[in-house]
Amino acid sequence: MIVLAVIVALTFLLTFAGGSHVGAGWFWDTGNALGFVALAGLLFQMIPYARGATTRRHEILGYWVLGVGMLHAFWFLLGDGAVWTYLRPGAPLAMWFGLAALVVLAVLTALARMPDRMRVHRRFRTFRTVHRVLGFALVAAAGLHVMLTGYYLGRWVQDVLFVLLVAATCLGRSRWARLGQAPIASGQTFVALGIAATSAFLLLRNLPW
Amino acid sequence: MKWLLAALFLAGAILVITGPPWPVPTAKRAVFSGSGRAILPMTFIHNDHKGVSCTICHHEFVDGTTGLSCINCHLTDPKVSDIFETQFHDLCRTCHMDEQAAGKPGGPTRHCAACHLPDNQF
Ligand code: HEC
Ligand code: HEC
Ligand code: HEC
Ligand code: HEC
Repeated sequence: MIVLAVIVALTFLLTFAGGSHVGAGWFWDTGNALGFVALAGLLFQMIPYARGATTRRHEILGYWVLGVGMLHAFWFLLGDGAVWTYLRPGAPLAMWFGLAALVVLAVLTALARMPDRMRVHRRFRTFRTVHRVLGFALVAAAGLHVMLTGYYLGRWVQDVLFVLLVAATCLGRSRWARLGQAPIASGQTFVALGIAATSAFLLLRNLPW
Repeated sequence: MKWLLAALFLAGAILVITGPPWPVPTAKRAVFSGSGRAILPMTFIHNDHKGVSCTICHHEFVDGTTGLSCINCHLTDPKVSDIFETQFHDLCRTCHMDEQAAGKPGGPTRHCAACHLPDNQF
């Protein structure tokens, strides 16, 4: 829970690093805040840790991350009549990475669902390899989506810090092992943290200052 | 949880195909120039840009290539037609973002519909 809170806070702070606080109106900023919530959840899920008995918590949080990721993608279609052009050929590369991230996340989640997982992957080791490879592909796609969009993370300082954050959360198994127990968080905690971060994000970007 | 996710996905898929259930000002692609390529309409009013020097946008005034409109030339010239969207987004949105970052009123930075509805003003 504390680990998740720290990751959410760092992800959102990153978007302000270097004094950047451009906003694009409450509708647009809300949709993108959802994206950052999903990204933070994703990074939390990536923490390398033999989860053992807490695997079920990891699984449940994964569904929440997928849900928020889908909300982020669909949000814009609800209120802006031009976004559909980004689902057509010719869309910017950043958008294809976003779409790819969502698809990989959906596949990764579906393949890991218990108890079906046992049937799809007979051996745990194959499952683990597939799950890891998909996880890293997902983080790469989502990260490129955010960086190439270049809006909230538009400065090079932000990109550097972002890559560091990704490395810190996705790598370093031995370092994370020092936690002593697997980091866990419930869906409710995730949603509550997400609402808090989104509200702060919206206010800081859309109040005149 | 499983059903919630499936419902969300289904709702999204329907949204992609049919559009939102309530009316949203929606831009259709159409042909505006001699090039025959259908593009989104542009909202651009010179009066909102009184403080901006003409040549920041009208580079053709200095190049001496006047005659065609921006869109017409940018869609037909093979040198720039592939990067049409990037060039225009860079021009318009970057300035709006800079203005906003400087604490001044700038135009739209992301909201597509603010720039992509037809207008009849100069
Ligand atoms: C500041 C104004 C502005 C904003 C905001 C803006 N655009 Fe544009 N866009 C333009 C201009 C100007 C052009 C070039 C003229 C045209 O296409 O009518 C353009 C061109 C495009 C093109 C290439 C033309 C075509 O139809 O193939 C696409 C696609 C596009 N914009 C999509 C979007 C999307 C999606 C958004 C929202 C995420 C967006 N734009 C936000 C100003 C803007
Ligand atoms: C912020 C960018 C911008 C500035 C500044 C600007 N214009 Fe334009 N101008 C445009 C765009 C874009 C069009 C095309 C409008 C359309 O298709 O709706 C245009 C169209 C025109 C046209 C119609 C013919 C053509 O080239 O399409 C004239 C004439 C014109 N502008 C004159 C001026 C003059 C004179 C100034 C300075 C006082 C000026 N503009 C400043 C962007 C600008
Ligand atoms: C007669 C053709 C023509 C017209 C008219 C024209 N352009 Fe261009 N524009 C070009 C070409 C060609 C380039 C590429 C120049 C180069 O690479 O040297 C260019 C480059 C640009 C760039 C990129 C500049 C940069 O520094 O990267 C922008 C932005 C742009 N045009 C906007 C406009 C706008 C806005 C208008 C109308 C107000 C307009 N253009 C009218 C042909 C035209
Ligand atoms: C060099 C700076 C600059 C450039 C380039 C520029 N704009 Fe703007 N634009 C502004 C400023 C400043 C405002 C805000 C004016 C105000 O509210 O007083 C504005 C406002 C707007 C608005 C909103 C007006 C409103 O009612 O809120 C639209 C739409 C717009 N611009 C479209 C465009 C498009 C399309 C282009 C590219 C072809 C463009 N602008 C290029 C500076 C720029």
